[in-house]
Amino acid sequence: MSDGSVAHRHIGGNANATPEDLRLFAGVRARELDAFEALYRLYHPRLARFLLNLLRRPTLVEEVLNDTLFVVWERSDTFRGASKLSTWIFAIAYRKAMKALRRLDEPVEDRDAELRPSGDDGPDAPFERERTQQALLSALAKLSPDHRTVVDLTYFHEMGYREIATIMDCPVDTVKTRMFHARRHLRRLMDGELADWL
Amino acid sequence: MMARILPFTADPHRETRDLMPWLITGRLDPEEQARVEAHLTTCEECSRELAGERLLAGGIAELPIATGIGWAAMRDRLDTAARQAAFVPAPPAGRRRFTMSQIGAMVAAQAALLAAAVTITLRVEAPTAPYHALGSAPAAAGGNAIIVFRPDARESDISRLLKANDARLVDGPTAANAYVLHIPDAVRTQALNRLRGEAAVVLAEPLDTAALR
Repeated sequence: MSDGSVAHRHIGGNANATPEDLRLFAGVRARELDAFEALYRLYHPRLARFLLNLLRRPTLVEEVLNDTLFVVWERSDTFRGASKLSTWIFAIAYRKAMKALRRLDEPVEDRDAELRPSGDDGPDAPFERERTQQALLSALAKLSPDHRTVVDLTYFHEMGYREIATIMDCPVDTVKTRMFHARRHLRRLMDGELADWL
Repeated sequence: MMARILPFTADPHRETRDLMPWLITGRLDPEEQARVEAHLTTCEECSRELAGERLLAGGIAELPIATGIGWAAMRDRLDTAARQAAFVPAPPAGRRRFTMSQIGAMVAAQAALLAAAVTITLRVEAPTAPYHALGSAPAAAGGNAIIVFRPDARESDISRLLKANDARLVDGPTAANAYVLHIPDAVRTQALNRLRGEAAVVLAEPLDTAALR
C-alpha cells in the first residue's frame, strides 16, 4: 500500500528527465497504439496523483485524466517542443481540471474523505504517522485548488517554479507567492503535528 | 554573474523565504542556490524555517494518494473513437490516421457491424410512413453527418447546438452513441467545423451514404 505511493514518487521525480517519454511520444505521433499505451502507463501515476490532489474526486479524476491523455493522442501534432513534454501534458491536465472545477461550481474543500488512507479514524489506525498523514491530507484539502497545485507540483512532482508557471500559465512570482501562502496555511493548520512526523 | 541577479536579490531574506521549497527539491539555478545558502548561514530565522519546511516537504511527498483507475477506460474510449473514424468516408488529410493494423481486427469487425446496423436502421425506416416522425426520415434525404456528444452533454445543449447549426437529428443513438444528422449541404462544412469546436462534442464528421453500402 504505502509501497505504491513511494514508487509513484520515484516515477514522479525521475520521469521528468527521462527521454523515454519523448521516444514513446514519437510513436504516438506515428499513431502507434502500443506506444500510446506505454506513455499512458508512464504518466498515469503522476497525473492521477496530481489530479486527485487538485480535484478531490476520484470519478472526476478519471474523466479529466483520460480527457488529458486523449488530447495527447489526438493532438500530438500541437506539441512543438518549446517545453518539456511533461510540462505540456501537465498544462493540458491543469487546464482540463480547472475547467471541470468551474463546471461543477461547488466548494471543493470538504471532499477529502476519499483521499484518506484506508482505516481512516478507525480502530486500525494506531500509528502516529498515519494520524499525521491524515492531518496533512485534511490540511491540504483546505487550501484553494491553485495553492494545492503549486504545493503538489513542487514537493511531489519536484518541478521548478518556472515549469510550474508554464503549466499554470501565470508569472513566476505568482507561483512563489502562492507557494509562500500555501506553506504558511499548511504550517498553521498542521500546528504541532509536523514535529511528530519523523 | 551580476547580470543574472533577480529582483528579489535586494532582499535576500525574502528571496530565501520564497525560494526555500525549490532549494529543498534541488530545483534552483546555481546562482540562486548560492545566494540562498549564503543567506542561510547568517540568518537563524531562515534556518529554523528551512528545518520545518523540510518536514512539510517530506510529508507531502510521502502522502499515500493513489487511484484505482487505469488503461481500460482509455482503451474503451479509443475503440469508440476508432469506430467513429471508421464511419468517415474521406477524412481530410492529416486527421484521424488510425492504422487498422494497430487497432486490430476486432475494431474493424465492430465498425463493420455498426455500419451494417446503421444501414439496416436507415433501410427499415425508409418505407413511406403515414406520420412524419423524427425517426422516420428517409435514408436518401437523411443522414449526411455523424456526431458524438460527450456522455455528460445536457439535452438542452444538444438541442441548442443542433438548432444553431441548422442540423436535424435523423438517427441514433447507435451502439457507439453516435447520432446521424442532416445538415443542408450548403452549410454542412461550416456547421461541422463549428460543432467540432464545441466542448459538448467529441466528434463531428461528414457522412456520405455511399460509405455505408
